[in-house]
Amino acid sequence: MANIENFATPSSAMGALKRPVVTKGWREWVFTVDHKKLGIMYMATAMFFFVVGGLEAVLIRLQLALPNGKILNADLYNQMFTMHATTMVFLFVMPMAAGFANYFIPLQIGARDVAFPRINAFGFWALLFGGLFINLSWFLGGAADGGWFMYAPNSGPIFSPSHGVDFWALGLQIAGIASLTGAINLIVTILNMRAPGMKLMRMPIFTWMILVVQFLLAFAVPVITVALFLLSFQRNFGATFFDVAAGADPLLWQHLFWIFGHPEVYILILPSFGIISEVLPVFSRKPLFGYPFVVFSGAAIGFVGWGVWAHHMFASGLGPVSVAVFSISTMAIAVPTGVKIVNWTLTLWGGKLWFTTAMKFAIGLIVLFTIGGLSGVTHSVAPSDTQQTDTYYIVAHFHYVLFGGAVLGLFSGFYYWWPKMFGKMLNEKLGTWNFWFMVIGMNLTFGPMHILGLQGQPRRMYQWTENRAGEGFFNLAFWNLIASIGSLVLVVGVFLFLVNIFITARSGKVAPLDPWGARSLEWMTSNPPKEHNFDSIPTVHHLDEFFHRKYAEDANGQMQQIATAEEVLKQLEDNADAHIHMPSPSYWPIVIAFGLPVTCLGVIYSIPLAIFGGLIILMGAFGWALEPSTAPDTDFDPPSSSNTSKDVVHVG
Amino acid sequence: MFTPGSKYLIAITGLSAVSFALYMLLVHPSAIGAVALIGLLAATSLLTGITLFTRDGHASEGQTSAAALDTPTPSMWPLVGAAGFALLLVGTITTPIVFIFGIVAMLAALVEWTVQAWSERSSADVAYNAQIRQRILNPIEYPILAAVGIAVIIFSFSRVMLAINKDAGAIIFIAAAAAISLVGVLISVRPQLKKSIVGTIAVVAALGLVGAGIAGMGVGMREELVVAAQEDHYAHKECGAEKSEHFDKGVSETISATSGADATIELIDGKLTAHAQGIEGLQDSITVRRSNPINIIFRNKDAGEFRLSAYLGKTKVADGVSEDLITCTQLLPQGAEQWLTFTIAKPSVSGEPYTLSIPGLAGQSVEVVVP
Amino acid sequence: MNHIKNASDAASRVNMLTRVIGRLKPVILGTAGTMFLASCATNAPQDTWQPKGPNAQKIDSLQKPVFAVAGIIGLIVAAAVTYSIIKFRDRGQPIPKQSHGNPALEITLTIIPALILAVVGVFTFRTVFDLNKTSDTQMIINVTGQQWWWEYDYPANNEYGITQPIITSGQLVIPVGTKVMLRETSRDVIHSYWIPALNGKRDAVPGRITINRIEADEPGIYAGQCTEFCGLSHANMRMEAVALSKEDFAKWVANQLKPYAAPAEGTLAKEGETVFLNQCTRCHQVNGLTRADGTPVIAAPDENVWSGAVPNLSHLMSRNTFAGAMFDLLTPECRNDVWKSDSASFGAKYLAGVSEPCLNQTDLRGWLRNAPAKKPMYANPAQLAATGGKYRGMPNLGLSESDIEKLVAYLLTLK
Repeated sequence: MANIENFATPSSAMGALKRPVVTKGWREWVFTVDHKKLGIMYMATAMFFFVVGGLEAVLIRLQLALPNGKILNADLYNQMFTMHATTMVFLFVMPMAAGFANYFIPLQIGARDVAFPRINAFGFWALLFGGLFINLSWFLGGAADGGWFMYAPNSGPIFSPSHGVDFWALGLQIAGIASLTGAINLIVTILNMRAPGMKLMRMPIFTWMILVVQFLLAFAVPVITVALFLLSFQRNFGATFFDVAAGADPLLWQHLFWIFGHPEVYILILPSFGIISEVLPVFSRKPLFGYPFVVFSGAAIGFVGWGVWAHHMFASGLGPVSVAVFSISTMAIAVPTGVKIVNWTLTLWGGKLWFTTAMKFAIGLIVLFTIGGLSGVTHSVAPSDTQQTDTYYIVAHFHYVLFGGAVLGLFSGFYYWWPKMFGKMLNEKLGTWNFWFMVIGMNLTFGPMHILGLQGQPRRMYQWTENRAGEGFFNLAFWNLIASIGSLVLVVGVFLFLVNIFITARSGKVAPLDPWGARSLEWMTSNPPKEHNFDSIPTVHHLDEFFHRKYAEDANGQMQQIATAEEVLKQLEDNADAHIHMPSPSYWPIVIAFGLPVTCLGVIYSIPLAIFGGLIILMGAFGWALEPSTAPDTDFDPPSSSNTSKDVVHVG
Repeated sequence: MFTPGSKYLIAITGLSAVSFALYMLLVHPSAIGAVALIGLLAATSLLTGITLFTRDGHASEGQTSAAALDTPTPSMWPLVGAAGFALLLVGTITTPIVFIFGIVAMLAALVEWTVQAWSERSSADVAYNAQIRQRILNPIEYPILAAVGIAVIIFSFSRVMLAINKDAGAIIFIAAAAAISLVGVLISVRPQLKKSIVGTIAVVAALGLVGAGIAGMGVGMREELVVAAQEDHYAHKECGAEKSEHFDKGVSETISATSGADATIELIDGKLTAHAQGIEGLQDSITVRRSNPINIIFRNKDAGEFRLSAYLGKTKVADGVSEDLITCTQLLPQGAEQWLTFTIAKPSVSGEPYTLSIPGLAGQSVEVVVP
Repeated sequence: MNHIKNASDAASRVNMLTRVIGRLKPVILGTAGTMFLASCATNAPQDTWQPKGPNAQKIDSLQKPVFAVAGIIGLIVAAAVTYSIIKFRDRGQPIPKQSHGNPALEITLTIIPALILAVVGVFTFRTVFDLNKTSDTQMIINVTGQQWWWEYDYPANNEYGITQPIITSGQLVIPVGTKVMLRETSRDVIHSYWIPALNGKRDAVPGRITINRIEADEPGIYAGQCTEFCGLSHANMRMEAVALSKEDFAKWVANQLKPYAAPAEGTLAKEGETVFLNQCTRCHQVNGLTRADGTPVIAAPDENVWSGAVPNLSHLMSRNTFAGAMFDLLTPECRNDVWKSDSASFGAKYLAGVSEPCLNQTDLRGWLRNAPAKKPMYANPAQLAATGGKYRGMPNLGLSESDIEKLVAYLLTLK
């Protein structure tokens, strides 16, 4: 056993399998496994796709501004609305929520990272490559043109001869892999890595909603995966799952799609519910009204959400029994949703309201989402749904839900958490302009669609004709024009946000430690947080732990400040942990993720390429399994930078 | 970067690649020659890869041979290799499967032996050497073992399911699933359960399954499957009244659509009647659309076995020669039903109607009108 | 809530304002309601709030109260939020008590909407089953959707004088006051049949027969549109239901069953018939049309078109539209004359069909000149590897101008 130091250490013996140690430049981001960096990359990716999807929406609205629009042809229009929905759902709202979850869940539960950091990195890269893969189809003969619902048999090779649908199906598979890995990762993180004392019912509501969403994802994504496989096999390998002449039933696709698709709606909306459930109490200076009700209504939505899918198929001839039952279950899900609205309103009630931009977006969500929710109730009534479905009334409904709900919530989150993430305050004045342009823009765009739909304008038409537009000054032509103008106002609103980011990055005010008087754990650390989040993991005694460390009731029952945020933080720093273990970066997540689109391209164009992609994945998997669990200090340049102030050790 | 050992192997790989390319391009290639050279290429590139990957033969200064410092650990691979060779010999005189097992055992022994031997020379620390071996082999071993395990389970279970009858099959399936869940729950609520107990349960279950699988293989497939395989009934070769034994009586249940068929055709008391979707009462003719896949359900409510046969006009097979286009359901016993899909491209012409009829049952038919 | 009493004058002024708003609420509500209705188009042909038949009426009387209830709840939420914003904004009041809620209030506010929805649910349940009643059907029409037009076939029905099946397209003609059952299916992808004035929509699913019941109270034309996305020309897949009085319907049936009348020898139309025989009969059927040798012409769309069917052009000029109801056969003035006529004179005007001065020459000639340029279709099988050389839609036939002239003259004879 003598002279062991003469022999190779694991790191040098493994040669190319060293873990990356560079923490500067692009490699810092590409090989990172830090949940905060990944969160920011998720958000940047989502924001990019938001702009892409938004431009698609503007083209759609420009085409429909006047009768017999000529800006897009029929084929391009069909691709445009398909990709608008696909982009907004799968590449904007879901990744944006994933970004928020990635960044804030470990902070909110007092953890130093997620449970599986490398899988986390893999999830992000898979999403990015999946998104780019889908959009690649624009340049390779046309994007998918069957609508985001991609009903069979219209999605078959005869009815959609370009490769668009292939790109769509395979790209969504990749994004689905990302969602699944993310879901499992966050569930494990939330259930196992909470700070001491943080019981489930002391978790911040955002964490709760994300937990529900991850369970929904874990069960919904496999369904769409199956459906997409059937579709891919039908298109690429001659299967006949939806081929009527072979005895199949096209409604099979609809059932599969909507069993995924309806929980998906809650996957999109619940994160925003979580965000504003954080924002409203902070700016009302009082806790969320009825916290357990909000938690359980979220969970209830998560359960009942599985029993309502056929309300997307009321017109498809299911028979009266199914229709009646799904009609009732759809009404039932309105109840837990209503509970949330009630609780938000009552959170405001009796508060001490501070109208920051984040708060404005949150209040905007309450009102606009309510409109969307109520229009949803009107078509839970199945007979009236047969008049409304596939008209612009539905478009109006889900844009109030998804724009008025999900998007406003996400924007509220941007303004609320920006100082946390970047240490600078977004400009509030510009933020107010941003808010009003977006809210007015969205009402101008989607409000008239209620009228358009109820007066009989169907969706997904590349042109509308004056013959069917009615008479009078307020005819459908007028409302179509207003909606198109509204979309431009909306564009200005979103543009103002981008300007705000730019201005803030250039010369923003440095954020104070606790700019909003916040309540939850993520604010109990520096802005932006250190790599290891917390110097010492706080012990949690309350819901709204941070607030209760700052404030206490005096003898008269009045809340009095007992400590500043700086003091609370100082206390944590003074008791810093001696040893902090952080995961090391890794080369392999991005390698494996890159293998996925290569394989999929191969499935479409040539099988050898698919085998090559498979080999990349295999190689990546072996690299992943073989790489050492940590980079030794000697690999760092200068050696062991982590030993300077605190003993932060990187382990797998 | 490149150790002497790897340089030698790289050269050999390159040479074999060149010789393979030359052989394929210049010499008239024979299959055996190509296989031999590509085998050589594969073998040398594998060895080169391992050498590069492990930096074997990298003699840095001051380094003593690890082998000199430590005695080798016990190994089972010589035994496996020898057993493999024995199997190989036995296989040559008995059945090929034994031969293949022999080859697999020898290959496994070869790879494992090589890596183990190499790892034991890498340092003087036994634990560290074992770790190196695991690091290289586990990513290969685990997927292969998992695949083999899954294959054995599926193979054994499927033999059992093929041997027993359908109802017993469903019960066994449910019972097995319940047992697995139960054990899973037990283990999860008692995580401190001894490893040996869990292991014993797993081994007993595995042995039981394999045993049952072997037994199932011995018994062979159930009668219906044997008959069905002989008859090739999927081919729908004949649509007459001939009697044939078919195993899958309720085939309509296997089709996703069970509602919304164009019409339901029923045979009751020797009479054939039609009930078109959405139309009250019974009809003796149905109107269907031209060039449209038509789905109908045939339900036999009569004693005896009958099939529904659809006459879909004539098709020209050669000049002046035409053949009847006929499709039919299987022979259905009383109470069974089946789904039939067909398409008629030409409208009906008077005098030559399209019909649905029961072979062997004269005078009963439903006319199919195609406007 | 004590501290609120100490609020400044500004707050009490706000309070007064909210009280005034409260008193004005009925006025505001009324005005908003009227404004909403006034802000809608008049006479929109596909208006879902203008039922013209019993089924649509049932839906309408179910949905209007639901809209009202939803509207009131929406206003309550908006009012509560607005009130909170005004009343509880930060005016320097102390940090409120950290109350975590009020379960009794919470449960009440959960139960109330649940009860409202339960009531709505009961009525929904009843209407769903009511609308699905089929036992009293008086007439059956088979409706077949394909890309991008609808085919209507009327099975023989002695009660209405339909002695042999009628096949038509573009316009569904029904007698008023008759419970008509549409048996829908599709030849290719899923379509959806929707005449908002008569009933809600029902999908036409390939391989399935779906049932849709309509009935019109008054003679007239009711517009509709395919509402399940069905590919390239989904927007152009329109439909029109024409309701005729029972007598007029009998006349329409008689006209549809009228045997083919060949154009007189030596006319332009006769030359047009020859062009039609050469160019069009591979796909388009005209019942009773014979070749020069007297053999009947049976079109074989199944050999040329992927969906296996194209519109039957017998009695084309008894319809007002062509190409999947995308184009009118009538000039705008003549069209207006038919659409805007009152229910008494409508039947006669509709049955008059299309005469030469009323013919929409522009669109019809444009269509014959180059159909895919007028309506997006996959008309070139070279771009469609999967169809085995079959068209999906009418191709550009490359007709000469004189051929088009002759064809138009011929088509005008197909009354």
